Amino acid sequence: MFLVVLPLLNILFDSFFKEGIFGLANYLEIFNKKTLILLVKSLELAFFVSTISTVIGGFFAFFLTKTNLPFKNFFKLFFLAPLFLSPYILTLSWVDFFVHFEHGKAFIYSFWGVVFILSLVFTPLSILVISSGLSNINAKLEEAGLMMTTYQNVVLNIIFPLVKPAILSSFILVFVLALSEFSVPAFLSVKVLTTEIFTQFSAFYNYELALANAMILVFISIFLLLSERAYLADASFLSMGTKSQQSKIVELGSAKYPLFMVHLLYLFFSIITPVVMLSMQSFDAGWAYFFQAINLLLPNIINSLLYATMGAFVLLLFGFVFAYISVKEKVKWVDILLLIIFAVPSTVLGIGLIKFFNTPNFDVIYSSFWIIIIAYLGKFVFISHKLIGNALMQIPNSLEESAEVLGAGFFKRMQKIVLPLIADKLFMVFIIGFIFSLGELGATILVYPAGSAVMGIKLYTIMANAPQGLVSAMSLVILLVTVLSIGSIMFLYRVFKQILRFSLST
Amino acid sequence: MKNLLLTTILFLTFISCSKESKDEVTVYTTVDQIFSEPILKDFEKEAGIKVKAIYDTEETKSTGVLNRIIAEKNNPHCDVFWSGDPIRAIVLKNRDISIGYDSPIAKDIPEQFKDKEYYWIGFSARARVLVYNKKLLKVDEVPESIFDLLEPKYKGKFAIANPLFGTTSFHFASLFSTLGENKAKALLAGFKKNDVLIATSNGDVKKRVLNGEIACGLTDTDDAFTAMKESKEMGIVFLDQKGIGSLVMPNTVSLMKNSPHNANGKRLIDYLLSKETEQKLAISSAQMPLHKRVKTSTNVPSLDNIVPMKINYEQTAKKLEEIQGYLKTWGE
Repeated sequence: MFLVVLPLLNILFDSFFKEGIFGLANYLEIFNKKTLILLVKSLELAFFVSTISTVIGGFFAFFLTKTNLPFKNFFKLFFLAPLFLSPYILTLSWVDFFVHFEHGKAFIYSFWGVVFILSLVFTPLSILVISSGLSNINAKLEEAGLMMTTYQNVVLNIIFPLVKPAILSSFILVFVLALSEFSVPAFLSVKVLTTEIFTQFSAFYNYELALANAMILVFISIFLLLSERAYLADASFLSMGTKSQQSKIVELGSAKYPLFMVHLLYLFFSIITPVVMLSMQSFDAGWAYFFQAINLLLPNIINSLLYATMGAFVLLLFGFVFAYISVKEKVKWVDILLLIIFAVPSTVLGIGLIKFFNTPNFDVIYSSFWIIIIAYLGKFVFISHKLIGNALMQIPNSLEESAEVLGAGFFKRMQKIVLPLIADKLFMVFIIGFIFSLGELGATILVYPAGSAVMGIKLYTIMANAPQGLVSAMSLVILLVTVLSIGSIMFLYRVFKQILRFSLST
Repeated sequence: MKNLLLTTILFLTFISCSKESKDEVTVYTTVDQIFSEPILKDFEKEAGIKVKAIYDTEETKSTGVLNRIIAEKNNPHCDVFWSGDPIRAIVLKNRDISIGYDSPIAKDIPEQFKDKEYYWIGFSARARVLVYNKKLLKVDEVPESIFDLLEPKYKGKFAIANPLFGTTSFHFASLFSTLGENKAKALLAGFKKNDVLIATSNGDVKKRVLNGEIACGLTDTDDAFTAMKESKEMGIVFLDQKGIGSLVMPNTVSLMKNSPHNANGKRLIDYLLSKETEQKLAISSAQMPLHKRVKTSTNVPSLDNIVPMKINYEQTAKKLEEIQGYLKTWGE
């Protein structure tokens, strides 16, 4: 982790310098009424977004994981779609939608417009996180409960307590992401702390003051994590099902089709509407923009998929290692360290990476795509570690201890016990890492080596003065590439599992 | 399995190591990629030198690339900085990040468009203009001066980009330089009183006028001409042709200090400063050549037909630094 920690320590150290003099001058400067107002607004924004995302995400996660809802896999994939488009592009499409309505413009260019868009952006993450928690619940516990009481009571008294870590994780992840989001509030002219950080960097070149402002976000995020740890400290986690047991699926009965319609309506609202807006602009002049978009993006598609895949593997590897250390070895400072890194805004992370790695000694990293992978690691390892940690918490220590007593070494225990039990979770983490890496721009745009732009960067740079139709067409192409690649990964995983099951049974 | 993983990582590291090639040049540019990339590709073909480019984004409003150059100061990767206005080039000069290069190609470019020590040289100029929607403003209703925007009939009907960034910041600094502090502040206060809409960027101003959300807005000539290509309902006007004139903003090129490919950087600068490049930029984005006798199409304005604002770019850059705190407060 020195790859990410040292650059951030470097810039944290810089934040204590004002015009070459060491001290608290930058921090004293930011403690004023204006910063407080911006901070409160940022916190309000993050609170509303995380609450809405978690509630809606939890609702859909339940029905997609625990019921016999028709076309579940279809919904599972396409509900993720808002994550595939950069928030900036989603904002553009929703602005184009709302300006056609009488009060639409006033709504979208407001605090609540930002809440609306960010909730749509982050609800898929909540769905993923909470689904993951729900799918690991031992079916026997639910069946035992059903012998005594109604399913509603089972949900309240068995399922909900077991999925609490996932719900809290979802809330905190979205909270921190919303708190450090810049592009949507900036575009909709809503002033929050991140827009102030950007102004300090870009208009005043006052890096130290910008860093001091960024530290406020970091401290808040640390406070949240500590609160989460304190709240969940006494919670007991019963074992998850063995790999041969599936999660309990509830029959919806007469509620099946009304609930199916609710899911369809949400899909229409969250992704089809912006895609329709983008399509209307793309195909306004026939297919010309679409083919031009493919032509422009073709050189960048391979870069994007390669970096995202590598990023996902690296996030999986480091996420597992840190989760294991944190959960099983009870090393508490790992959580805090990773959260600090996660809470740092992308721009600050990017500047930190440049200042640390842009030296003759580290040029081999800085001039190569590895600097991009390090940026992904810094931005998202907290998420992968958190998700894997939640899964590891549900494996009782007695399983590993028994194996250890019988002489199984660490790698054997991982191979035979831990990894098989959480295989599906690891795959989910890989997918999340892939999606986030593919869409990451804030830090990547500052560090990518010249000539190695990814799709998102190409879109952002072409956007300035390109016709709206071309920008929309490029967005659609990116969406298509993302959906196809994720669909392919999911298909390959299912094939792999089938082959593995077949080979084990023979 | 472990060995395979290790071998893969080492292999990828090996192939990803950048080899310093003699036949390449790295350029960072704030000029819109849609206009700058074709020029750079042409240079690549003609000179046989690979161009590695980093472009700026709509979101970072011409400051992203600049911040990267500043952050990379101690170990520069950029050979040439191609800016859409002189202000960013002057920032680099003041921070001792660029060096002077007196390109022989720039001999007939007027002196007011060059730094005295050639830390930056201008070419292909844009101007600040008012773009308007013909459905919302008839010809006789179109403002002729920036001061007309203070009139009640334009209340809530005009837009500007965020004055802290990009060419809008340059425009405001030039108003302060030309009008003096009191008159400039009075003008800005009048804008606020008249409910000026502050958009996120020049592109956003263009888009809002194009969509009919707003009647008119201040932007640059390349944005304005792109808008006119997209819709016949768009018109432009050069403000204050009978008064203080319109701000003219040349593109600039600067050679970076201690850059890895200094010689190739000079070749690229020579190419960018050529009449051929100016002709291409005139055709693609109506940018006005600074060389004499460059053939352009009829829709491209000429500097000979525009009354420019009389400013000194160095002093305007200094003025911008002085007024930024005020602009931030004004924009809030």
